[in-house]
Amino acid sequence: MFVKDSKLEICNINSLENNKRLSTQELLQLIYQKIDEGYTQFKINACGQHNIGGPLWVKNKEAKLKFIVNNPGQRVGSMGMKGTSIIVEGSAPADVGWLNAGAEIIVKGDGGDTTGHCAASGKIFIGGRVGTRSGSLMKHDPKFDAPQLWVLKNTGSFSFEFMGGGIAVICGLDCENMDSVLGHRCCVGMVGGTIYVRGNISDISESCLIEDLNEYDISFLNNGIKEFLDKINKPEEYKKLSLWNEWKKIVAKPYSSSKKSDRISLKDFREKMWVQGGIFGDFYQDDLKVEEFITKGDKRLRIPYWNNNKLSAPCEFGCPIGIPTQKRINLIKQGKIKEAVDLIFDYSPFPASVCGEVCPQLCMDNCSRCFVDEHIKISDLAMMSRDVKFDKFKTDKKEKIAIVGSGVAGLSCAWILKQKGFNVEVFEEDTKIGGKLTQVIPNDRLTRQSLNADLNRIKNSGIKFNLNKKIKQNDFQELEKTFDAIVIAVGAHTPFVIPFEGHQRLIKGLDFLKTINRGEKFELGKKVVIIGAGNAAMDVIIGAYQMGACEVTAIDIQKPMAFEKEINHAQSLGAKILWPCYTDKITKEGVWLKDGTLIEADNVIISIGDRPNFDFIDRSYLNECNMIKINEFQQCENNNKVFAIGDSVKQGLFTNAIADGRKCAFNIINMFENLPLNKYEKRTKVSKEDIKPEYYATYSPLKVQNLPGYEEDKRCLSCATCRDCEFCLNACPTGAIEKFKNEKGETIYTSNIERCIGCGVCAGVCPCGIWTLQPNSLNFV
Amino acid sequence: MATINEISKDDLNWQIQYDSSKCTLCGRCVAACSFNAIKVDVEKRRKVVSIGDVPTPKVTTTTIPVIKQITRNALNCVGCGVCSRVCPNGAIKAVHEDESRFNIKYKCEHGDSIKRGGRSNLNTEGRTLDKIKIGRISQMTDPSLDAQRHTFDVLAPFGRIIPPQELPFEVSSDGDLKISKSMPPVNWIYPIIIGDMSIGALSTRMWEALAIATAYLNEVCGLKVRMCTGEGGIPTRLLKSRYLKYMILQIASGHFGWNRIINTMPEMTEDPGGILIKIGQGAKPGDGGLLMAKKVARHIQEIRGVPKADLLSPPNHQGLYSIEESVQKMFLSLNSAFKFRVPVAIKVAASVTSVSVYNNLLRDPYNIVGGFFLDGIQGGTGAAYEISLNHTGHPIVSRLRDCYLAAVHQGKQGQIPLWAGGGLGMRGALAADAFKMMCLGANGIFAGRLWLQAAGCLGNDSGKCNACNTGNCPAGITTQNPLLVARLDVDKVAENVVNYFLATHLELKKLMAPIGNSSLPIGRSDALVSVDKNIAERLGIQHVC
Repeated sequence: MFVKDSKLEICNINSLENNKRLSTQELLQLIYQKIDEGYTQFKINACGQHNIGGPLWVKNKEAKLKFIVNNPGQRVGSMGMKGTSIIVEGSAPADVGWLNAGAEIIVKGDGGDTTGHCAASGKIFIGGRVGTRSGSLMKHDPKFDAPQLWVLKNTGSFSFEFMGGGIAVICGLDCENMDSVLGHRCCVGMVGGTIYVRGNISDISESCLIEDLNEYDISFLNNGIKEFLDKINKPEEYKKLSLWNEWKKIVAKPYSSSKKSDRISLKDFREKMWVQGGIFGDFYQDDLKVEEFITKGDKRLRIPYWNNNKLSAPCEFGCPIGIPTQKRINLIKQGKIKEAVDLIFDYSPFPASVCGEVCPQLCMDNCSRCFVDEHIKISDLAMMSRDVKFDKFKTDKKEKIAIVGSGVAGLSCAWILKQKGFNVEVFEEDTKIGGKLTQVIPNDRLTRQSLNADLNRIKNSGIKFNLNKKIKQNDFQELEKTFDAIVIAVGAHTPFVIPFEGHQRLIKGLDFLKTINRGEKFELGKKVVIIGAGNAAMDVIIGAYQMGACEVTAIDIQKPMAFEKEINHAQSLGAKILWPCYTDKITKEGVWLKDGTLIEADNVIISIGDRPNFDFIDRSYLNECNMIKINEFQQCENNNKVFAIGDSVKQGLFTNAIADGRKCAFNIINMFENLPLNKYEKRTKVSKEDIKPEYYATYSPLKVQNLPGYEEDKRCLSCATCRDCEFCLNACPTGAIEKFKNEKGETIYTSNIERCIGCGVCAGVCPCGIWTLQPNSLNFV
Repeated sequence: MATINEISKDDLNWQIQYDSSKCTLCGRCVAACSFNAIKVDVEKRRKVVSIGDVPTPKVTTTTIPVIKQITRNALNCVGCGVCSRVCPNGAIKAVHEDESRFNIKYKCEHGDSIKRGGRSNLNTEGRTLDKIKIGRISQMTDPSLDAQRHTFDVLAPFGRIIPPQELPFEVSSDGDLKISKSMPPVNWIYPIIIGDMSIGALSTRMWEALAIATAYLNEVCGLKVRMCTGEGGIPTRLLKSRYLKYMILQIASGHFGWNRIINTMPEMTEDPGGILIKIGQGAKPGDGGLLMAKKVARHIQEIRGVPKADLLSPPNHQGLYSIEESVQKMFLSLNSAFKFRVPVAIKVAASVTSVSVYNNLLRDPYNIVGGFFLDGIQGGTGAAYEISLNHTGHPIVSRLRDCYLAAVHQGKQGQIPLWAGGGLGMRGALAADAFKMMCLGANGIFAGRLWLQAAGCLGNDSGKCNACNTGNCPAGITTQNPLLVARLDVDKVAENVVNYFLATHLELKKLMAPIGNSSLPIGRSDALVSVDKNIAERLGIQHVC
């Protein structure tokens, strides 16, 4: 099987003799045995046996092992160790130098696939080409020399995958026509090492960089190529391979740059490569600035506004005249008692009689103080103005106004016009001024003291009164000629009567009340029934008891329209109020209802409303219902200088009549001054939830009762009117709120847009509902 | 003051929990709340105490400013959590009331149904895809791959695929093989499409960020990702740009914006990446598009050509009464719109009838059906009636599988590419969902809401926020209010989307490698297993335990 060459001490092994082939295991075990016997040099005529050449060593560490091999199988030199050298005379199949740990392996022909795979040290010289995945996973342990793989020609595809270290040299000899001497998809996953290449490279992994050679590279290659060519016996190729400008060097990207990619940033991409100005830029403006959640200035979601005196307090809103009680009380708080007491006369000449006594005081229905204890004592407040006297108003305007009727509407209109300096002349059919206030309201409900105080103030104002003067058609035509404006304020003095069977027995409520108020006696029986249960009917009930009735019943077909206060007053006298009751007929027994019930009555009074009488004006003023035709400014449609107000237009409360008179007066002035007429609509009411009763202490009923009117500023919630408490100033988290006095000396609060974040703390803490928060987005969307 | 029928905090889905002892009244929560759901108010605190050895009453009353929830039901807290994000002291948060009466209260109050955005919030537990694992791992018997370092072919067809035996090859006189007839266009694209979300539904910044991310993924990262435009008009500048090739134009029943697309054709330098005809959507099948007036800002009015109003697209394309007509009118017309150069696909809501529809389309003799998009019940939407969101629709997994097997049965799998969507990625792992859907037969998948979540959407699938319809999106994603849009960082959103795609790309490869596929595993149901026997049986995959 083997022949000892005593002279050279070479162990010659022929693995195939007499058609008998040594298996890989037999061959390798023979080699182990011969090494143990002291052989270090082998010449092996192989027959495809695997793994020839490693890992092998001799005990004497200085000694070298040398193998000259023919026709090896796979993995020649695999796991070869330092001190081992292997020369393959021809080509070798796959895995030459796999896991090479230090051997020198020379293959004079081609290497197979995965040549040098995982080589970690030693040198591999291939005198031809190598197959696919060659050089993959080569690595360099710094305690050993770096592995080297030299290839004269080219590699197959996927070469140097996952290479981690070492040096490979691919000389590309006779490969000039190839598109890549490293095959396709080379160097995937390469993280280290150096590959020197001569020839074309394409389809290389993005994990690598291709660089030019430096001096060190050239010197390394210059020496190495000479050695390599000597080993493979082709020194003549040196000239061809030493043109250094034909060489490139492949290295892995350094860790730092491969980890954090060198991709262009998105911002740079947008600014430099994306559609200039953005794809929406031609129809939607956006600076692309990024805002935080908390913003200032015009980027706020909501903006606070200081709406002092811009909204209506519930009292002002509830009052048909719109008397700003909150303003009155605010003047008291400021110590301006006279201004407070006088303020009402800008609105009404009847502070005592109407506001103080007969008015149902709608203003107090929604008084915010009700959420603390009881509403503001409006009567007390009004009575503070009872004894106010004025000097006669001066007349400095040339226009003359005639007012037909001296009821509450007419006098209110006259009062305002007189205050403004006009010539005002009132025509009254009765002997006294005051209309129904004087004629029909029972003393029970209206003291003569209040009535006279208010009427005397009006009488002394400079208005010219013509009493006992009934205006007839020709009189009215005369007024139309001689006055610049005429106000029809004749009220409604013709009672409605329904023609029930026996209607002749009915007493008209209005006549009844007028009689009593003249101080005359009206004979009534014990039992009285009143048809109707409105406010006037309640007055009739009071009158009936005054005239000696013992059992008074008011009936209505619907829920009584009278105010609760009036109903309570009537019921406290003993009256019964029944509904729904449908009258069938009136007999001497009393009132028969349609269901056959009899309500016994000695007298039956009807009080279901009154109509105006327009027999003094031309039919052209009237509509098909015989009511006067006016527009929303109280102006007659067929004659611009004639106005109509009060019950003559629509039956209502005294306050409605006062409101009409006031609105009419201002529109007459507007007309004189050629200004557009005005509906004088109410201001928006402040929202209930913006008023904060939580701030106020609840007073006991006794404490409320004992508090005089001029101290109601202690209780008033000052709705929609700044009480200057500075709560906003103190609560604002960004110090945005500033307070100053304007040129009129009024206190003003503002919110500085540079500081305000639109949180609404100001609005949230404001006791009076002055600060309101509005969405800013309304400006955009 | 309060009466039983007033809406109170107790009735609401989301209730503000507030601790006034921690609050400094800095105002940040109220300033930042885009829903106007909280306000500053004052509270009275009255204490009666006895001080001394015998009963000695002393009353102290203080009034303190506090933060309060607004209970008017038009101004509801949706639980977006912005208040707690901005509160420096942790004094405020929104807490979900699971037993809320709001659904009843709202209907009683308004005689109207609740509308919202988001996804179906019912039955989010136990997703089918989460019960499927990739159970076939290549070891020894076949080569597995290195996910990070190997090269993979991650591309899916958008367009009609002609099977080899039908390719119109002929040998020309010079002996070369030549194609003798025009072939239907096919674009090989990334298998994950940015799903159709319209301008209007999304803010300008959000939509543009998606478009930028798409362009970036193509031009910088080399991923051929396509974005479907949704149907809300398309900016002319984009139509004229070279980036149009990355866009799949959508046409739905409203046909919004198509006049501008048509009028811009002479100035286009690129063909669009495809056209998607939307017939239905998974989130509200059988119902049409809905854009609430609050979001129809001036620029939306312009680009859509409509006045400010609630924009309701009809549930059906007006004038389509049969599948034959759909193919003829919609497919033919839209194929011809770009001279048969651009593939045209169709999107329908998953339904028990999906297989029949797909079978019909598979017969397409004109080669003009370029894709079949199936959208499942877990799909998101910008606005829908909650009743539709919660109670209509069909899960996507089995229906996709059925369609694929129907094609296999005819030997026509892959000819009309199947794309599936609807809640894919809702657990954050889009790659896993996509991979499983592909193993079950999808050529690719589409996802929409996921990108909004990548952008910073504060919502979740348990009812949090879901207020895309209100125009008050606190993240600036689904609003047209410039004050809120300003919260969104275009570059950061684009970067997040790009990064999510890159991560997903890596993850897809991490799943392809173990089963040894270097190309997409379409139909490789052998790779899937399920521990749920019903799911395994229904889908025809291995049941394992």
